[in-house]
Amino acid sequence: MSMEIRPVAATFAGEVSGIDLTGPVTPADVAAIEAGMDRHAVLVFRDQRCTDDEQRAFTRNFGTLEQAPGGHVAKLDERRLPLDMQDAGNLDKDQRVFARDDRRRMFNLGNRLWHSDSSYRAVPAKYSLLSGRVVVDLGGQTQFADMRAAYDALDAGTKTEIADLVCEHSLLFSRGELGFEVTEEERAMFLPVRQPLVRSHPVTGRKSLFLSAHAGGIVGWPVPEARAFLCELTEHATQRQFVYSHAWTRYDLVMWDNRCTMHRVTRFDETKPRDMRRTTVAGTV
Amino acid sequence: MTLNTTSLHPLFAAEVSGVDTTRALSADDAAAIETALDTHAVLVFRDQRLTDDQQLAFSRSFGELEETRGTGISKPGEQRLHPAFADVSNIDKDNTLLARDDRRRLYSLGNMLWHSDSSFKAVPAKYSILSGRIVATSGGETEFADMRAAWAALDNATKAEIEDLVCEHSLIFSRELLGFGDLTPEERATMRPVRQRLVRTHAGSGRKSLYLASHIGTIIGWPMPEARAFIRDLTEHATQPAFVYAHKWRPYDLVMWDNRATMHRVRRYDNAQPRDMRRTTVAGTEMTAQQEESLAA
Repeated sequence: MSMEIRPVAATFAGEVSGIDLTGPVTPADVAAIEAGMDRHAVLVFRDQRCTDDEQRAFTRNFGTLEQAPGGHVAKLDERRLPLDMQDAGNLDKDQRVFARDDRRRMFNLGNRLWHSDSSYRAVPAKYSLLSGRVVVDLGGQTQFADMRAAYDALDAGTKTEIADLVCEHSLLFSRGELGFEVTEEERAMFLPVRQPLVRSHPVTGRKSLFLSAHAGGIVGWPVPEARAFLCELTEHATQRQFVYSHAWTRYDLVMWDNRCTMHRVTRFDETKPRDMRRTTVAGTV
Repeated sequence: MTLNTTSLHPLFAAEVSGVDTTRALSADDAAAIETALDTHAVLVFRDQRLTDDQQLAFSRSFGELEETRGTGISKPGEQRLHPAFADVSNIDKDNTLLARDDRRRLYSLGNMLWHSDSSFKAVPAKYSILSGRIVATSGGETEFADMRAAWAALDNATKAEIEDLVCEHSLIFSRELLGFGDLTPEERATMRPVRQRLVRTHAGSGRKSLYLASHIGTIIGWPMPEARAFIRDLTEHATQPAFVYAHKWRPYDLVMWDNRATMHRVRRYDNAQPRDMRRTTVAGTEMTAQQEESLAA
């Protein structure tokens, strides 16, 4: 049976059927998936019972795996997953749910803010692939915002104003918004990087707003003015008509293009286990 | 006086005609306005060419006024207006525009975040009365959110979860959100957090409302990041377009709102144009929550 993509939201996001990601994928299918990503920006694959190795192998079809260092406050010996897999769950090494005030859980709460993965890295991420190994019944949706549609909907005056603006991104800013306190060592690790506020997609050429909760300043602007403006743009970009909410079923694999979307997780009952494993395709520019 | 109201929004906010706010109000007039506020929460009076003294007199018809001294960052001698005014303009004492990086301007950008006036005081404000003397020609709208409607629209589980929660409010928190962190120790001392219930009941209408503000920094008994993430979710719910009235200013509009039932914020405007907006604030009469002992004393 051949692979098909069916749109699931107004401006973006598609559901893919007719493909098994646990085995080798043909070059034609890889090309079709890339083309689907360029068009839909978010693709949902249902019932993919991937092992970690199968998830890595599928991910490598699209580029190099991003490594985790510099992206979390969990120490190396505290990690549940290897460095080439990001842990978006709420479990410790022994598969126990984090205590309410566990520092790693506090840090992960930053995922409740709209963001683009690794926008705090000088070379930010291309795709993220998130596999739902244990999902929660209530809440815990992943919401995506189409940053191309958000850009298109800006008025001409704003487009001109922001065309050449450059933002500073750091985990310090997103965690600071939540009152999460970092150590001196972490502060040094989370040094801000610069990203354009408007970027063009390397394949489609479409422009999009490059926003993220990690953005904490605009170069050349007073910080409070920059933050207030970034809040306003984020509010614009995450209006309902630009958002697709993904309600998870176990073994869903969701793949998104960080170069033209933001995402966040919604609140859920954190006394219940949630095991979500992310692989990330490193960007190249 | 015959007070007539015309609705400005399906849920709340009304335009009032038949009232001249430059003249002394009778007790009956004031009561009629209070009754209208119990229903509409936001009232718009058009074409009110008030002097400062007239605005003070009108405001005092509804209770004691708050003094703004000791709440913001203005130094003695810097203030342009009588101490009972909160100056939400972009001009200084000499009526010159504040520079882009003026500390007072950057501080006032906190008004672009959703808030309820003086929620950072143990006894928070009742009404705010804002007079548009020189208004922005593009942008600068004041948006209001109906916090009664926001409460009513919550699901039952959320209502039960939050009904008895108590939050800490401080100017430090709202300014931190904008990266305005260079507060002096003296400023920090005057901005000590106070406690407010997250759900309050209106004295006039008996209606419950969500008592939110960007001044909230945490929920008592919760880890701070969890509290902040949750407060953001509630704020997003409470400020969805269906609950919001955007007021586009005309010169000499006088807008009066009930801080016990609404939040508000100003939208971005061109800082190269003067904007002269003068606010008087009617003090509340009660705390919403028990303060820490040291503060209640």
